[in-house]
Amino acid sequence: MNTKNAHAIHITKDKCIGCVHCLSVCPTRAIRVKDGKATIIDELCIDCGECLRVCPHEAVHSHTTSFAALDVFAYKVAIPSTVLYGQFGTAVLPNEILSALRRIGFDEVYDLSSICELNCAATEEYLNEHPRPRPYITSTCPVVVRLVQQRYPSLCGQILPIEPPREIAAKILRTILPKAVGVPADKIGIIHLTPCPAKMVSINSPATLAKSYLDGAISIRDIYSQILSSLRKSEEDALMRHLFPETQFSGIGMGWSLSGGETRGLKAHRAVAVSGIQDTMRVLDQVEAGLLQDIDLLECTVCPDGCVGGPLEVENRFLAKSRILELVAAAGEHAVVDHKDVSRLYHKNFLSFDHPVSAVESRPLDHDPTKAIRKAKRREKIFADLPRKDCGVCGAPDCRTLADDIVRGYAHLEDCPFVKNKKEKR
Amino acid sequence: MPAAEAVFRQEFAVKGGDFAKAGVVACRIKELLKDLGLNAAAIRRAAIAAYEAEMNVIMYAWEGRIDLAVSPGEVHITVDDRGPGIVDVELAMTEGYSTATPEMRELGFGAGMGLPNIKRNSDVLHIDSRTGEGTRLKIVILTNGHGTT
Repeated sequence: MNTKNAHAIHITKDKCIGCVHCLSVCPTRAIRVKDGKATIIDELCIDCGECLRVCPHEAVHSHTTSFAALDVFAYKVAIPSTVLYGQFGTAVLPNEILSALRRIGFDEVYDLSSICELNCAATEEYLNEHPRPRPYITSTCPVVVRLVQQRYPSLCGQILPIEPPREIAAKILRTILPKAVGVPADKIGIIHLTPCPAKMVSINSPATLAKSYLDGAISIRDIYSQILSSLRKSEEDALMRHLFPETQFSGIGMGWSLSGGETRGLKAHRAVAVSGIQDTMRVLDQVEAGLLQDIDLLECTVCPDGCVGGPLEVENRFLAKSRILELVAAAGEHAVVDHKDVSRLYHKNFLSFDHPVSAVESRPLDHDPTKAIRKAKRREKIFADLPRKDCGVCGAPDCRTLADDIVRGYAHLEDCPFVKNKKEKR
Repeated sequence: MPAAEAVFRQEFAVKGGDFAKAGVVACRIKELLKDLGLNAAAIRRAAIAAYEAEMNVIMYAWEGRIDLAVSPGEVHITVDDRGPGIVDVELAMTEGYSTATPEMRELGFGAGMGLPNIKRNSDVLHIDSRTGEGTRLKIVILTNGHGTT
């Protein structure tokens, strides 16, 4: 796997003023301020985007695909996250949004709600066939997968090995489109539209596939204004779409982007949905301690309220959520997927991971156990002398992390302004 | 346990009835064992055993202390509590046997799997309990060498 520069989150040094906002929110303590600029420790970053949300200087940006970069493809296909349906107020219907995407240059656009329903049916079948272990954890959120690989390695085998809807949709399209449109497979670009920076990472270095079926991910924030101006120019078209909708949306899949949406369609299994990075970690800690074994499926999404709280959306998440709930209510229990078809695909292993999720190498204090013990003891001694104010001035997010950095050789005790001050006074 | 300089020790206090902090010590122990480079299976066993032991103090005792000692080959978790003690240790080791109150069960605790679960996830378990005074659990987990598997 390519770990160098595989991350979607980057710091623009020119804009960073070295404040400590990002330091304190990073759940894996992956950020340090060095020489007045924030830097990210690649092996710790999970691309959750928490730093991107809080940076007051827009110094944190995400590498997603630009619309212009799609020109290399002769045939461009968009598969937008269902979050997109919640971005344009209550008067705009999903069908209008899909046709607006066609007008701005996509040759074909596919709704994901039906594939979400398909995924749910396949998940149900998998749970039926695999009574153990419990709970399984869904793989839709790439940050959760990364978090498990890094912090909860013993749970790797509990990630339910069915690919998320975006990959399944792209795989189906890769299979059928070359023949259907008469364009060679490598000239067809299949692009996800998303509010999530981590999707780019899951495309560039997938955790469970030899290669992603997607060619890129465009941030909703980047493409929003183009969609909006296209929607404004086409009221006539909107009227026609209202009268004659061409896409059948799935009632079960429509709410997929809301916390609990992935598991809403399960009929015979007990599911629990958790959202937000801190709560996700709290629950994964409990699962690792052997709890929650009476739960069949655990849906974890690190963004608040689910993907609808993704950092790259435009509409505030409460309005977006309310709009999507309206669409869910309007679609009702409308099913568009035949379970027998899903079952056939499932048994062909068409929906499965290429390979299981594997743990990433941990980061012990030392690979020699005796030295690791010595360093851990030294770390405790150093920590005892630190002020425990967690001010971030030293460049580490908190005193405990500074002590850790010191024994690993990345920082010095004098980096702490309180320690330094005391020494100088002597 | 080898000589003191080759052992990492840390002590944690646990307060009886403090359900809001349930699992905090076990999590801290898990993080420490990761930093010490133990293999994932040993860490998971230690985390489960520590969690169950911590919960026992929170649920039944007034106060307790968890003492972690790690040497290159072994993890020792010693739990001392001041509390009612276990009247019949053999019975308490039976899966499903529990003296938990209905309130605890409502919170999802007290399924009677605590001590059996510790036993399953440890290589040595020694229980010394005095009714009306307290309980001492000595848990040993052999780490089978260090690694990242």
